[in-house]
Amino acid sequence: MEQNDNKVNKTMTTQPGMSDVVLGCVMPYIDDPKDRDAVSLVCRRWYELDALTRKHLTIALCYTTSPDRLRRRFRHLESLKLKGKPRAAMFNLIPEDWGGYVTPWVNEIAENFNCLKSVHFRRMIVQDSDLEVLARSRGKVLQVLKLDKCSGFSTDGLLHVGRMCRQLRTLFLEESSIIEKDGQWLHELAVNNSVLMTLNFYMTDLVKVRFEDLELIARNCRYLVSVKISDCEILDLVGFFHAASVLEEFCGGSFNDQPERYSVVSFPPRLCRLGLTYMGKNEMPIVFPFASLLKKLDLLYALLDTEDHCLLIQRCPNLEVLETRNVIGDRGLEVLARSCKRLKRLRIERGADEQEMEDEEGVVSQRGLMALSQGCLELEYLAVYVSDITNASLQYIGTYSKNLCDFRLVLLDKEERITDLPLDNGVRDLLRGCEKLRRFALYLRPGGLTDVGLGYIGQYSPKVRWMLLGSVGGSDAGLLEFSRGCPSLQKLEVRGCCFSERALAASVMQLTSLRYLWVQGYRASDSGCDLLAMARPFWNIELIPARRIVMTDQVGEADVVEDPAHILAYYSLAGPRTDFPETVIRLDTSATGVEL
Amino acid sequence: MSRATVELDFFGMEKANSGKTQFQKFLDRRRSFRGIQGAISKMNPELIKSVISSGSTNRSPVDWRKSFSVPSSPKEDRSSPVSSLPILNPAFMSSSSEDGPDTAPLTIFYNGTVSVFNVPRDKAESIFKLAVEGSSKNIESTDSSKISNPSSEQQNLLETRNGDLPIARRKSLQRFLEKRKERLTCASPYAW
Repeated sequence: MEQNDNKVNKTMTTQPGMSDVVLGCVMPYIDDPKDRDAVSLVCRRWYELDALTRKHLTIALCYTTSPDRLRRRFRHLESLKLKGKPRAAMFNLIPEDWGGYVTPWVNEIAENFNCLKSVHFRRMIVQDSDLEVLARSRGKVLQVLKLDKCSGFSTDGLLHVGRMCRQLRTLFLEESSIIEKDGQWLHELAVNNSVLMTLNFYMTDLVKVRFEDLELIARNCRYLVSVKISDCEILDLVGFFHAASVLEEFCGGSFNDQPERYSVVSFPPRLCRLGLTYMGKNEMPIVFPFASLLKKLDLLYALLDTEDHCLLIQRCPNLEVLETRNVIGDRGLEVLARSCKRLKRLRIERGADEQEMEDEEGVVSQRGLMALSQGCLELEYLAVYVSDITNASLQYIGTYSKNLCDFRLVLLDKEERITDLPLDNGVRDLLRGCEKLRRFALYLRPGGLTDVGLGYIGQYSPKVRWMLLGSVGGSDAGLLEFSRGCPSLQKLEVRGCCFSERALAASVMQLTSLRYLWVQGYRASDSGCDLLAMARPFWNIELIPARRIVMTDQVGEADVVEDPAHILAYYSLAGPRTDFPETVIRLDTSATGVEL
Repeated sequence: MSRATVELDFFGMEKANSGKTQFQKFLDRRRSFRGIQGAISKMNPELIKSVISSGSTNRSPVDWRKSFSVPSSPKEDRSSPVSSLPILNPAFMSSSSEDGPDTAPLTIFYNGTVSVFNVPRDKAESIFKLAVEGSSKNIESTDSSKISNPSSEQQNLLETRNGDLPIARRKSLQRFLEKRKERLTCASPYAW
């Protein structure tokens, strides 16, 4: 007994703290990336144990590190998420060939990552050859493949996935730009896979897929829970819905026939997340029988007016997530506030600009926001395009929306006169009231927020990690005041503001947590060198100079627009990029003799 | 600044379009040109006659070397180049409305000089913008104390700089709105 005690004592004196064995058992329970980050900094032993046991990694920008470094540290990774192009790419603001190629990563994965089961590429360039390499090397164990807003590949690349990745639980292609050759890839998937749970090619414009293959997948895959497709005719999916007995989520489809014909459509019994594209007021009633079960409703691509929204929403008391366009109107928001007390996430996107195309009532303003904040107290995520706004409505949000983690407000530029600007006090009160806020976006117009208001943002956003600021502030002084605060700000996007290069560079140096900056629209210096005030080790600075792009507007006419210059700056352990297209310029800090 | 406004009124190119003010319409285009003022000062005065005579038919995109400026002249004489322009201008104006968005003459009165250029409309707009930006920078530096309550003029100037970038639309929604429009046009081609 005493000998055992001595042994234990000896272990404790030579290795203070937990033994490796104990630590190895405890560490896998630590999942949160911030916790893991902290754990890895304690000492070398803990760093190594973290490296051995970390299951998932998200690399927020693929150029911040290299495949080589990843392999050296996290060889046993099971799940990887990589992001490429700046977020602005989702708004057509980034050149298609900007970068974010998965090839070097796929090659490294193929060769060395033997435990990897889940791969998620977001806003990256993927080629058919990459898919072939991935499928061949990891196909036997790959369970999750997400090509999220990616481009550069065709349905031929997906053929390899369908043929060789027979353990796939999730195939996610949402919003990717895919060159469509045929629908054979879906057939291969249908024929080779029986464990698929999530299939998503929503918003991909793939039209050659056969509904018979969808039906086959539903019959073969007993655990099929979520299916989001492109514009397949709903009447062709009757068989699919019948076979997909455990389906909980469905989005996509289209309604091309007479409304009466859709009464034959019977949805699976557990369906509680729904988004029927091109659904109009006459087809809407097919949802009514199970509307009370709905937890998530996607009306972004539906053809409903304000009244339709009211009629549908009032039947959905269990709604937790709603996405729609501003056609919902203030009246729809009032119905939402009365009916959907469990609402957690609300996203209101911008509808068409032309009057004829959207409901007259289809505008969201302070009236709707005030009702919403008072009625939906569990709100965690709110993103909204408004046509009018007041300080009071923002104060309401600060008072009532105590669970808000993510708030995004864009003031549309159609109306010339806004009821109550500047929004300094409202923004201050919102930030002070919403203590859990982690993500914040404010896109206004000149006069929308003064330098004082910008200073408030800096002062009252202690936990905010990501921010988008559009057309705010009045001068460099505002930006500098802002950057004295925001202690947690890691990623900053600035658009359409009047700040100078000098002020941008100075603010970067003041923001203590900043690791990523994107700017479009700024006052360039004559020499273009004022940016170099932020030159420092491991800080990459890139420019996308002003360019002319051809954009097709809503009327289908091609319009040549001038796209102002961008600044992109980020910390990187991998040194400056080497895979530049012509449209990107790397700011070479060494050339000007700046000492690093 | 007020001179730029005079030029805008003078041309009246945006009369047809509704909604925004003329001023804002020009600034819808986003462009930054540097050195335009430098280029202006290098104009060849000899070209004035040939350009005036060919101006109404000239449709080519702007070539700075073809443009010109009349060097400053004593006050008594200024009336002669100025008086010749009103005669020319109606001709230019009618031809510019015929030409539509193509090249039209742009006349700039500045600091005792008169300069006439043959420019496409979008380049003309960017010149106006640049002139406004140049004058607004001066105003901003002297009026820093009035930031929180800008005068309406200052507001205008801020608008010129910040209002350049329209709010971008999400790709997925853009595509949906286009497709919706197609569907409506196919369904009822005579609705419009």
